[in-house]
Amino acid sequence: MNPTETPHPVRLDVQLGRLRLANPIAVASGTFGYAREMAGLVDLARLGAILPKTITQEPRPGNPPPRTVETACGMLNSIGLDNDGIEAFIAEKLPYLASLAPATIVSIAGRTQDEFTRMAARMDAVPGVDALELNVSCPNVTGGVDFGTDPDSCRRVVAGVRDACSLPVLAKLTPNVTNVVAIAQAAEQGGADALSLVNTCLGMAVDWRRRRPILGNVLGGLSGPAIKPIAIRIVYQVAAAVDIPLMGIGGIANINDVMEFLVAGATAVQIGTANFYNPTVSVKILDALPDALARLGATCVADVVGTITKQ
Amino acid sequence: MTEHHHCTCTSYADRARQETVAVEENVQVARDTYRVRFACEQIAEGIVPGQFVMMRLAGVNDPLLGRPLAMYNVVPDENGRPQQLEIVYRVVGKMTRRLSVLEPGALLEVWGPLGNGFPPTETEHLVMVAGGIGQTPLLSLAKEYLHRQTYGSPPRQVRQAKKVTLCYGTGGGEYLACVEDFQRAGVEVRISTDDGSAGHRGLVTELIRPVVESSDHPCRIVCCGPEPMMAATAQLAGKLGLHCQVSLERSMACGLGICFSCVAKIRDESGRWDYRRTCVEGPVFEAEDVEFQQHFSQLKQRPKV
Ligand SMILES: Cc1cc2nc3c(=O)[nH]c(=O)nc-3n(C[C@H](O)[C@H](O)[C@H](O)COP(=O)(O)OP(=O)(O)OC[C@H]3O[C@@H](n4cnc5c(N)ncnc54)[C@H](O)[C@@H]3O)c2cc1C
Ligand SMILES: Cc1cc2nc3c(=O)[nH]c(=O)nc-3n(C[C@H](O)[C@H](O)[C@H](O)COP(=O)(O)O)c2cc1C
Ligand code: FES
Repeated sequence: MNPTETPHPVRLDVQLGRLRLANPIAVASGTFGYAREMAGLVDLARLGAILPKTITQEPRPGNPPPRTVETACGMLNSIGLDNDGIEAFIAEKLPYLASLAPATIVSIAGRTQDEFTRMAARMDAVPGVDALELNVSCPNVTGGVDFGTDPDSCRRVVAGVRDACSLPVLAKLTPNVTNVVAIAQAAEQGGADALSLVNTCLGMAVDWRRRRPILGNVLGGLSGPAIKPIAIRIVYQVAAAVDIPLMGIGGIANINDVMEFLVAGATAVQIGTANFYNPTVSVKILDALPDALARLGATCVADVVGTITKQ
Repeated sequence: MTEHHHCTCTSYADRARQETVAVEENVQVARDTYRVRFACEQIAEGIVPGQFVMMRLAGVNDPLLGRPLAMYNVVPDENGRPQQLEIVYRVVGKMTRRLSVLEPGALLEVWGPLGNGFPPTETEHLVMVAGGIGQTPLLSLAKEYLHRQTYGSPPRQVRQAKKVTLCYGTGGGEYLACVEDFQRAGVEVRISTDDGSAGHRGLVTELIRPVVESSDHPCRIVCCGPEPMMAATAQLAGKLGLHCQVSLERSMACGLGICFSCVAKIRDESGRWDYRRTCVEGPVFEAEDVEFQQHFSQLKQRPKV
């Protein structure tokens, strides 16, 4: 059943700057493969957007295992942007993504400003890409995260990409900074259509008996229900400080989580770790969304976005 | 020689289904070892030997992620249609400890079938080598090769083997689980224990050579267990000139190929290794293609098998 054909008089489409999504439910980069993997379990056509795993200019083998470890209500990962590079992505993964109904938001990570710009121009030149998400926030590689921790570099990298391509641009920010609002404002000044909040929280797990870190790469990114309060706090703070729309990401596992993010200021959401432990979570949420919006008397998603009030 | 199957092709979990199931039976079968049974027709219908399911306790966030568990057996209904799945598991940590105390009626989330499974390869004498809980994917394989049961839909056709032997090693006799199931299926079982409390005292790999050398038929080896034991078996198979497949264990977060947690170093034809996802391109690999983890036992503390 297509969600836009439900009996509820609720419109689900949302606008993220120049990017329009059929509904606000997307799947987060690095947590849904290249979508083809999930075709047997998930009716992909129903999703609002798909973000394939972040690509880099050159192929990267990724970090040595163990690459993930479970923690209380969450997990740490140090995958390290394991991917075959931008050309292999265009040749092997993009045609399938482009054939699907949901918007394809390609996540790119450059080591330098120049590399970001070149990758953006390359993606602009191939059909089937609906928007770019700039991963300026991966904690598992050096380089990437600097653009997400310094407002000036963040503004410049976003502006450079805006100049180099005509695609809508989202900047995905890291929570691992003292003042995320300053970074968000910088991305807005750089011309971002929207912001994706947030990437994983830097963390670590220790095997005390062996006096060793558990992850092969020592540090990793924390995700899952454990980080939801941090992500909501950041969406709430940033929503008050910028005029561009936000995509909320962090620990979303059910319809209540989605509604919390929307009310706190997100226009759309991305589901991450929950895809791993509840592979059909995205469609279950889509089934429940019209009713949940209707309960707040909404006729469209925008009716609830950022409607939170203090006591 | 038996034909050679390379199982490193890209595959997708296209037949996987996610189901919430209720425990029907959960019983202890050896020290720290249990067998759980539940109905899930969709998964039971399609699953083949060597494939696995991801399982988690329904409705809790801690433990959060699913755990990979091999299909031990498919139980048909009265009309012979695949209906229930049996999983045999060793209690080693958070999830398996909680699983072991579940009563009938408790709910589990499972998704599968996952992984490539053992490819059907023509074999006259199948020699199965198991260490610890590594016997779990092998019962169904033996039943398939001895034409006691078929698996998959449509049912997989495997040329009948003349003989199947299980070389099964554990820390002590009290850990030996479900040996009767193998014997009932017509498998010749040879046992080793570290402490000599049952069977041969020593390593399970020491059982392989006598089986192979006294066999009247060409042998092929399949192996599942702790990494050092699989590495040793692979090495021995190489020396004996026998085809060998191993089922690798890696820690997994999704089982579906979307998280890139479960990678193993697998060599291609040119001998270069690349990280491959064990959950979709494995867990069964050609032993000669695997770059075994040298210090696996140091990476992960396992109870003695
Ligand atoms: C394809 C596949 C099939 C499998 N089939 C089976 C099967 O049929 N039966 C079966 O029993 N198992 C099987 N396994 C293994 C099974 O998945 C694991 O034993 C299970 O995930 C353990 O989950 P847990 O929550 O109980 O342990 P966890 O708490 O997740 O612990 C996992 C491992 O880490 C160790 N560990 C835990 N805490 C620590 C610590 N603080 N420091 C150091 N080490 C620690 C534990 O001893 C354990 O070995 C399979 C694995 C794979 C990949
Ligand atoms: C295993 C794993 C891999 C990830 N890979 C990427 C990635 O390649 N690019 C990216 O922008 N974010 C990546 N992320 C971060 C997620 O997209 C998401 O921002 C984060 O996990 C928080 O959301 P969650 O709690 O719902 O998972 C990854 C997360 C996990 C758990
Ligand atoms: S366990 Fe997620 S890719 Fe294999």
